[in-house]
Formats: sequence, structure tokens, C-alpha cells
Amino acid sequence: MLSFSLTGIIAQDCNITVKGTVTDEVTGVPLEVVNLYLEESPDVGTMTDESGAFEISGLCPGHYHLVLSHIGCETQLIHLTIEEDTQLELTMDHSSHVLDNVVVVGSSDAASTTQSQSISNLKILESGSENLSNILEGLSGVNTLKNGNGIAKPVVHGLYGNRITILNNGIAQSGQQWGNDHSPEIDPLVANSLKVIKGVGSLEYPGSNLGSVILVEPKKIGKEPHLHGRVNYFFESNGWGNGVNVQLQQYTPAIAWKINGTLKKSGDRKTPDYYLNNTGSQEGNIALQLEKSFSEKWFSELYFSSFNTELGVLRGGHISNLTDLELAFERDVPYFTEDKFSYAIDAPKQRVSHQLLKLNSKYFIKPDQHLQFTFAGQVNNRKEFDIRRSGRSEIPALSLLQFTYFLEGKYQAELSNDIGIRTGLQFNMIDNTNNPETGILPLIPDYFAYESGAYLLMTKKKNDWLFELGGRYDNILQNAVTVSSGANPEILRYNNIYHNFSASTGIRYQASENLDIAYNIGYASRNPAVNELYSGGLHQGVSGIEEGDPDLSAEYSLKTTFSLNGKIKEKLFFESLFYYQRFSDYIFLNPTGETRLTIRGAFPVFQYEQTDATIFGLDLMGRYQFSEVVGLKMIYSFIKGKDIENDIALINMPANNLTAELGFAFPKPIPAGKRKLENINIEITDKYVFRQNNFEIDQDFLPPPAAYNLLGMKLAADMQFKNIRTHYFISIENMLNTRYREYLNRQRYYADDLGINIRLGVNFRF
Amino acid sequence: MKHSRLLPLLLLALLFTVTSCEKDDPDVNEEELITTLTYTLSPVGGGADVVMTFRDLDGDGGDAPVITGGTLDAGVQYNGAITLLNEAESPAENITEEVEGEDLEHQFFYETSVAGLTVAYADMDADGNPTGLATTVSATTVGSGTLKVTLRHEPNKSGEGVADGNITNAGGETDIEVTFDVNVE
Repeated sequence: MLSFSLTGIIAQDCNITVKGTVTDEVTGVPLEVVNLYLEESPDVGTMTDESGAFEISGLCPGHYHLVLSHIGCETQLIHLTIEEDTQLELTMDHSSHVLDNVVVVGSSDAASTTQSQSISNLKILESGSENLSNILEGLSGVNTLKNGNGIAKPVVHGLYGNRITILNNGIAQSGQQWGNDHSPEIDPLVANSLKVIKGVGSLEYPGSNLGSVILVEPKKIGKEPHLHGRVNYFFESNGWGNGVNVQLQQYTPAIAWKINGTLKKSGDRKTPDYYLNNTGSQEGNIALQLEKSFSEKWFSELYFSSFNTELGVLRGGHISNLTDLELAFERDVPYFTEDKFSYAIDAPKQRVSHQLLKLNSKYFIKPDQHLQFTFAGQVNNRKEFDIRRSGRSEIPALSLLQFTYFLEGKYQAELSNDIGIRTGLQFNMIDNTNNPETGILPLIPDYFAYESGAYLLMTKKKNDWLFELGGRYDNILQNAVTVSSGANPEILRYNNIYHNFSASTGIRYQASENLDIAYNIGYASRNPAVNELYSGGLHQGVSGIEEGDPDLSAEYSLKTTFSLNGKIKEKLFFESLFYYQRFSDYIFLNPTGETRLTIRGAFPVFQYEQTDATIFGLDLMGRYQFSEVVGLKMIYSFIKGKDIENDIALINMPANNLTAELGFAFPKPIPAGKRKLENINIEITDKYVFRQNNFEIDQDFLPPPAAYNLLGMKLAADMQFKNIRTHYFISIENMLNTRYREYLNRQRYYADDLGINIRLGVNFRF
Repeated sequence: MKHSRLLPLLLLALLFTVTSCEKDDPDVNEEELITTLTYTLSPVGGGADVVMTFRDLDGDGGDAPVITGGTLDAGVQYNGAITLLNEAESPAENITEEVEGEDLEHQFFYETSVAGLTVAYADMDADGNPTGLATTVSATTVGSGTLKVTLRHEPNKSGEGVADGNITNAGGETDIEVTFDVNVE
């Protein structure tokens, strides 16, 4: 983020001076050693002093692009029209990147009492071809539920799937969220920031309100009249993956446009000892963003994105019945392991496409009051292919087509007395259909769901205090059609009506410049989802028979969060979040312990049931800055889930983990031939994941795997060529090639996790 | 308000949502189902066949399968033949042919707890490996126990002992796994 103001002084020809200061956008602290250049003549440049001040003189009138680069920040480019001596007041978003976090002490935009954390654009770029969930895992309290590396879904504070809302550019991602082996269909390279809101403050978003919200946000197009863009290329040694991402954008008074495309391909991944055959993936995505101001008061935006992927599933992890499963557990190396690398993706595999179209119009009634209308349509097409007889492997075993239509009207105002109001009406309609091509009875039924919601949120600021209060009501209509099992299948129709009520309140107190305290409490109810009610049949992805319960009732949750963030003498920064969530009638898939005999042998039976449960935990983050160059960051996450009705552990709770990151940042450029290497950054990361000791042996096929430790490092630097800014990075994951298995990765039943991976990337900005 | 241009669009979207309120009836056919496995043992010297069946007409869920075991005579040799059917279809679909057609990718295994009961392969695929649709069965001593019949898809047919009917190194996926009670008199 960057802002500046121009103040004209005196006009002169080719003797113009540009002076100014650069400060931290969030804390207001002057930033030293910020490199500034004119892109048009890279030799003309300077660096800020201790007071953040700079001066560039001897300029002719004209159009320039000023490049600002600073360690830990993403390089900024600002367009200037210079006609006279100019004073600039520039800001860079430094501290939030240092902390990898948006909510920082002293932040002016701490407009909420819930804690949120974000991942910067630079971090996203340096993650190369990683999927959304794997990138988010870098945040404290965020984990991933996986089926191999490519299929991953985010877990926040122990909740995932139906309980988490993912907003792609403000629109709730709609797809087959229920499946533990279904990744969110979003290209992280389209986003400029990824943000996780932890807690129950996010009542303005549709979807389940009892879990956290993940925001995937492309940035607004800057008022930059020239064509600009970036090209990223990345390579990964594990899987011989290659990827390229191109972004172009331009602002014209008529319309501002941005286009973003990504292509990725990777082959079989490898553990320290063997290939994971058939774990390749390929992806092609494109996004188009158009923005137009019809007047001073009326802005409209159109956004279209298309996501298309094909993901291989480990061949040796495709298991039929209990006998096969038990045999697979005993093996060191999975069945079908071949000592040969391949890019081929055969069955079992998933082929998923997702299209999103959003139209949004904002109308300002007054500068501090606006109305907003949004329409969005989504099409999600998921096909999963199994190993089948007689050439049927080319016919999907699961084929679902889902259309979602969303309409929203919102009103937002800043009233006098520092009262803020946000209110809105939303209507969402889902049309889910099993394509009959599969020749298999569907696991989840065809259905319509109509969701109508209304919310009102209020904030009040008083001195150092912020109060927040909100409520939301949703009316859900479900119309599902299922086929009964038995010798003479019957068609059963269900019509359900649910009322979901949610409320939250919170308080934030800015105790001093160095300490910020917040408390938030929220109540929410969630109606049972269609899969929880009516699933029926063999779920190949989990080697079990899943049965819904049409008599499930809504679940209720009360979540409280308490956060304490602060800093001591600009040396030690800390963030802590404590949370406690209590569920009534928590819906979960219970392993009944029974097996069902079929012609394919015996299968374990899982049933959707309800219980009372608690989840509580702690996210801690601290950073100590030893000097300008050296800093140490520690992140610790603790979580515990309990079924309090039966006094047993909840299944699939993430293991506790501790990460230490030693960073070296060299703010001064180092000459490299004719040019300079800037912003040299080295990070050494060590992540320790504890064993999950909180489990019940009869809930799972195998006990949780052992604790493990992963070492990684990253080296990054920038270099300026005439008009092109380049950024290079190399990172090594699992440097010691450690053999390990992760509790929340389903592939752990059959195979080790990934061995060493070297990632290389280069990024050109122009 | 200047939103008149958006209005038709919103109305169009609404229209989409109210056009149909009930989902169409879903397809209830299951194509790939195997409902019935029959293992017929014909005495070599003539006599009544011993027929063992596993029948689950409604597939994975619903009613429990009906399993019929068999009684063999000690000292008699039998020719065994497997038949697979999908009896949910009418007329019943013969799945045996599907397995025959993909014999390189399939193999039956026979495991028994009855002492003296042996099952030997009596057929071959193009590579000279057994498929196990045809077998030779003999029982030497009186006793009782179980016979487990397993069909593996994509097994490692060249694995150690696999061609002799040892399932340990076969790998692959189980398409069928049924267990019969067997008496030898």
C-alpha cells in the first residue's frame, strides 16, 4: 500500500528537485535505507537517511516512475508527473510484512475486534506453484487437511470444510466443500493478499459463521496510465514442476483493466526414498478484472476467473476394502511404486474446473456512506476418476456440477459520534447435480439450496476503545432428492427449512502505543449440510461407507477469542491469541466400529452423528530484532479438541507445532558487476510438529505418526535493469530429506511425505 | 439512482433461481455392480455339482448378502468355474466376460482353512499366467472351515508365488472378496 501527496513549490527547467520522506504506513515510523530510483533513468537514485528523508535533484519536467524498494517490503512503483519542485510524503507497508500480519499495534485500521492474519503478495510469489492451502499453512493456527501434496484444504483452529468460508474476491467459494479430499478451486497467484479472520466477527459474509473466514483478495487497479505487468517463472525440483504467471494491467480514464494467467505442471513427487507414482498435477487459470468509475460517486467492477486443474492421486493409495487397507499399512513402500518419474496423470485422479463471474457496483451517497450491489455466478464441475474395469477408468466415478447464484445489497456508513454501520441483504442459490455419466449411485444427492440472509454490524470508537456488535439471520431451504438403498430403490424427496441465528460482540482497547488488547465472543448456528444429511454409499476417497442421517438438527457454537498484541522498544514484537469454542450438537463423521460385508469384502461404516464438543487453543508469535540485520521469529500453535459428551478426543485435530525462523536482511545494496543486488534476504526456518497424542485408537485406522522436524531456507534478492525490476529467490524445503508422515495427510496410511524440494523463481516487473 | 442498467441483470439472475423448484428424478442404475459370485464345482467323474454363491442384489448398502457354502466329498476331484453376474439388471449381465476380456489385469486367489483342500489354477492369460476363473479342486481329508475367494485388479502377476496362487505379493486392488463355509465329508 502506498500513498503520497504532492505540493508544488517553484517551476524550473531540468533543475527540478524532488524531496520527501518515507514512513511506515502502519506505525508512522520513518524508514531508513529505502532505495529510490527513477525507472526511466536508473542511475538517478538515492536512499533515505535515518529520518526517512530523501532528495533527488536535476530532473527535467515530465512523466516518471519512481521505484521504492525496501527490505521486507514489496517493491513499489509510483507514477509521477513532475513540472516543478515537489515534496512527496511516501509510505510503505513495512511493519506488517516484518510481522507477516495486518493487525499491528498502532494500526489505524484496526476496525474489528477479531484477530486476522495475512500473507503478503511477496510471500505468495515466493511460494511458486504451491496451492492456496499450503501457502496459508504458514500462519499460526492454520493447518491443512491433505490427500497427498496437491489436494489440500485449509484447517483454521481445527475447523474445515463446511465450517470454513473462503471468500474469493468477496464471493463465498461454492463447490463440493464437504469432501476432505477436495481442495478449494482458487489460484493464489491471482490474489495480492491472503487473509484469515479468526473468530466470529465475520457476520457480513454468507456461509457458515462459526468458523474462520479466509479472504483471497486481488488488489484494486492503481491509477497508473501506462501498461504495467509482471512475469513470474518458477521451478520445483521435487516433481520437476514448472510454472509461469503473467499479469498485465493498465488504467485509462475510460476503464481500468487487469489480466492474470497461470500455467503449472508438475510430475510425480518424491519422498526421500521413492517416487509417489501418479501424483502429478497440472493447472491453467485466468482472471480478468475491469474497473470503471461512471462518476465521482459511482464505481463498478467486473471480475471473471476460471480455474482448471487435474490432480493425480497416489496409485498405491487407492485402496478397496479393509483387507487391502491392512496390507497397505504393513508395507514400507506403497504398491505400484515404480522407480521412474513421469508427468502422466492416470486414474485415480480428479479433474476440477471452477468459473466465477462477479459484477459489483458501489454508489457513494455521501463520502462516508455508500451502497453496494453485487451479483455473482459460479460454476463448479468436479470429476473424480477411479480404477475401473473394462476401460471405465476414463468415465468419472463421481461427477458433480454445481451452479451458484448470489445477489447482495449492502449499505455502509460512518455516522457522527464515531459510529460505523454495515448492513446488508443476501440471497444465494445452489443447484447441485450428479451427472448420470458415472454409472454409479451418487454419494451425495442432487439438491437445490436457497439461502437468504440479513445482517447488521455496528462499531463505536471512543478514545482508545472500539466496541463491536453484530447480528445475522439466515433462512435456508433445502430440496434434495435421494435414492433409497434396498432391493427396490425408491426415490425420496426431502424439503427442509432451517433458521440460523448468529450474533457477536467484542471490544478492543489500545492500552498504549505498545499494547493492544481485544476480546470477542460470538454465537452461531449452522444447519446440517446436504452431505451430512443424505450421504449414502462407498466413499472411495476415504475407503469407507458413509451414511448421512436425515434427522440431524442444526449445530450451535459459542466461540470466544482473546488477543494480546504488542511490542517492546521496537525490538520485541508479540502476538497472542487464545480461543475457546463450545459446540452443541456438533456434527461429525463417526467411525461406528462396524463393518459392512459387500462382494468386495468388508468396509468400515462411518455415520454422521451429533455430540457436544469443545475446541480450545493458543496461537503465539514473537519476533525479536537483534539488529537491523538479524531477527528471530517464533510461532507456536496449540490446539485441543474434545467430545465432551463421550469424554473422548475429537478426530482430525491438528498436532501442535513450533516454528523458528532466523532472518538476515541486508538493507544496503551489494554491487554485482554494473548493477546492484538489493534487498538481500536470507531465512532459515525450522518447523517442529509434535505427535498428536490426543486421539482415540478406535477412531482411526492407524495411530498418529511420530513427531517430525523440517529444516528449510530461503535466499531472495532484487536487481534493477533499465525498466525492469527483477526479483530472484531460491528456497529449499525439507533440506535434510527427513522421512516423515503428517497426521492430517491421508496419504500417511500408505506413504512417506515429500522429501527435499528446491524451488527457484524469478519475477520481472515492468 | 443510476442503477437502472444493473437492474435487468439482477432480474435475470432472479429468474434463473425460480424457474425450477424440484430436482429431476435421479438415475438409479448402477452399471458396474457385481451382485453375484457363483463358484460351481463339478465332480470330474460325474455327479451333482457343488454350487457356492454370494448374492447381494442391492449392492453395498441395504439388505445383507446371502451366502451359500458347499459340501465336498473327500477323495473326489472337481473342476471349478467362477461366474460373475449383475442381477440388478434385467436380464442379468454377465460380468465374467469382462474379467475374461481383461485377464492380464485380473487374478482370482483361493485361500482355505480346510486341511487337505487344494485349489489349483486351470487357465492361463496371454502371458502364461493364471487368471483363476477355471480351477481344479480336490479334498483329501474330512474336515470343515472356510474358503476365501479374492479377485484382484491389476495385481503383480510376476510377483513371487503369485502364479502359484499365493496372494501375499500380489498387490493390486480387491474387486471381490467373499468367504464360503466349506465341509468335506
